[in-house]
Amino acid sequence: MSAIGELSSMTRRKGPMTKEEKKANGRDNKAAYVFLLPWLLGLAVITVGPMFMSLYLSFTDYNLLQPPEWVGLDNFVRMFGDARLHNSLRVTFTYVLVGVPLQLAVALVIALVLDKGLRGLPFYRSIFYLPSLLGGSVAVAILWKQIFGTTGLVNQVLAMIGIQGPGWISDPNTALGSIILLHVWTFGSPMIIFLAGLRQIPVMYYEAAKVDGATTLQQFWRITLPMLSPIIFFNLVLQIIGSFQSFTQAFIVSGGNGGPSDSTMFFTLYLYQKGFGQFDMGYASAMAWFLLVIIGVFTAINFIASKYWVFYDD
Amino acid sequence: MVSKAKRTKRKLRASALIAATAAAVLALTACGGGSEPKSADGKVELRFSWWGGDQRAKLTQEAIKAFEAENPNITVKAEFGDWSGYWDKLATQVAANDAPDIIQMDEKYITEYSTRGALLDLSKYKIDTSKMDEAALNAGKGEKGLTGIAAGINAATILANPAVFQAAGVPMPDDKTWTWDDFERIAAEVTAKSPKGTYGAAAYGTDEASLGVWLRQNGKSLYTQDGKLGFEPSDIKDYWEFLKDMSDKKAVPSASEIVEAEAAPLDQSGLATGKNGMAFWWSNQLPALEKAAGGELQILRFPSKTGKADDAGLWYKASQFWSASSRSKHPEEAAKFIDFLTNNVKAGEILLADRGVYPNSDVREAIAPKLAKADVKVVDFIDSIKDELGDAPAAPPKGAGAIQEIIKRYTSEVMFNRLSAEEAGKKAVDEMKSAIS
Repeated sequence: MSAIGELSSMTRRKGPMTKEEKKANGRDNKAAYVFLLPWLLGLAVITVGPMFMSLYLSFTDYNLLQPPEWVGLDNFVRMFGDARLHNSLRVTFTYVLVGVPLQLAVALVIALVLDKGLRGLPFYRSIFYLPSLLGGSVAVAILWKQIFGTTGLVNQVLAMIGIQGPGWISDPNTALGSIILLHVWTFGSPMIIFLAGLRQIPVMYYEAAKVDGATTLQQFWRITLPMLSPIIFFNLVLQIIGSFQSFTQAFIVSGGNGGPSDSTMFFTLYLYQKGFGQFDMGYASAMAWFLLVIIGVFTAINFIASKYWVFYDD
Repeated sequence: MVSKAKRTKRKLRASALIAATAAAVLALTACGGGSEPKSADGKVELRFSWWGGDQRAKLTQEAIKAFEAENPNITVKAEFGDWSGYWDKLATQVAANDAPDIIQMDEKYITEYSTRGALLDLSKYKIDTSKMDEAALNAGKGEKGLTGIAAGINAATILANPAVFQAAGVPMPDDKTWTWDDFERIAAEVTAKSPKGTYGAAAYGTDEASLGVWLRQNGKSLYTQDGKLGFEPSDIKDYWEFLKDMSDKKAVPSASEIVEAEAAPLDQSGLATGKNGMAFWWSNQLPALEKAAGGELQILRFPSKTGKADDAGLWYKASQFWSASSRSKHPEEAAKFIDFLTNNVKAGEILLADRGVYPNSDVREAIAPKLAKADVKVVDFIDSIKDELGDAPAAPPKGAGAIQEIIKRYTSEVMFNRLSAEEAGKKAVDEMKSAIS
């Protein structure tokens, strides 16, 4: 009997277990724990342990080289007066609030086009997914830097039509925009999820709508969007959480300093600089927990708001 | 039937247990994979990390080979990278108790690391310092003893690319008499007579060396002897206003071109690619830059306010230090390696002037005939400014590693017109004060 079959028959059975069965069950549990051990160890050593350590460190003054010193809420109080931190929050919020909706909109539009029963769909799907695989990588961030440089590809194209473009990533007015664009470009994974969601919408709704004379646009607003709303919600939550934590692109594009003039100084980048550049690991830990709270609040708002716009068809 | 099922089950469970244990052990050992103290054959392995370009990597690895040939029981493992990533990596390694045994250190960070007990007091080990230049030796001393041995002597310079001047038809400046106004005028002239995208000079404001020179010429300094900031907001305001003026006159590049240039490694810098007529570099970087530029470069003194070379306010800097980790398991061997790099003529003949002029006078003399043309230029320059030097500057205090980034950031705030030079001066000084307090 397969393990899954055994498991399901066990859970399905009603009534008290016999002594022998209990014993066997206990043995099975023990075996399960032994199997889980490597993973549990990893979780404890690599995730949970460091998390609690960082919680502890957030209440200390810790410079990496000497033992941490307890300072209470000092680090959290300091955050209120830190103008660069406030700026990093502004940058991060702009990135999330502009980048995520844009990215999801692009993902949805591409998914809708692909869903029209294009020939060679798997091929196109892969092509459009490609940026997502590459986008988070260091190589693409470096490429981006070249494309949007003063003498980069974008400006060369602009020069052909007589426009002298700015140094997109070296000008504080456009640098963040370039990184947001990089984020939007990696629309692949929400697109795949949208595509799967679109496939789930029963065709009969559209057929019925057509019979009633609904236009394509009406079909989209009245059928596609509501039916897709759980998927949109899912993508929104995931992308918001991910975007708050994004680091690599800003790190590489700005050469690690969040410049020019802190215009691409993401919260995570500032955290990194505080911790590893200025040896202020206690403060950096406090920042990390602050970010966790921010993400928690945003996710909670998301869930509360979802009651008003997400439609579950079941 | 039943018994057979039971037996297979038991067998399965036994093998599962073994598999799980093996996996757990693997997971554990993966975490605990620290450095081996000593391998079975009595060999000692040292780890040695430095920052620098390709040229330096090549030379240093040759020096390592020469050391290993003399000390067959010691192997030295090289870890190297660019300046920008070097310090993040080092901080992480030190925090993780995984610091390299021998560390190339900079004056900006040496106090930070040494006062926190991360570096070995090398005076307690067998390293001969009798032939060292005194000022260079003192630069490595602090409250925790001798935590760094100077690897070379350096001076802040302006390097010029004669090819750019020639193409523009502008004569090379006389660096013994020039003033900052001359610098601006000449650079603007080169820009005007050069193809688009080429500038007479690179901008300063991306490091503290040029600010240090500027302040010294105005009777101030970056730091005071007691570890405080040695200047006022108004001093740095003038520094930025002049830079802004130079950028407006196109003597130096525009704001966003400056930002882009910051990120370029030495080999792709404006001077190396022929996009700048002059640029601010340390003297020891000349050979590598000449190699990248594919032509000769010329070392110039900084301009002064008065037009007298004696007022240029230059100084000898320890280009880098050799330090050892205080947690090294092989301090003796690490010291031996540092001694080799410092005092052994063979090491000198390989490294030549890549890390600056050799502070050991014997080695310096012994390798003189071996020096390449570029190295000779560096040594000659260092010798020629000997009588013009100002007082030795105070050692950078703890936290000084953050200063460069602050200067850079506020330079772009000023250049992009986001802050006036005056506001930027106030904010920058505030931030610097809290960084080193």
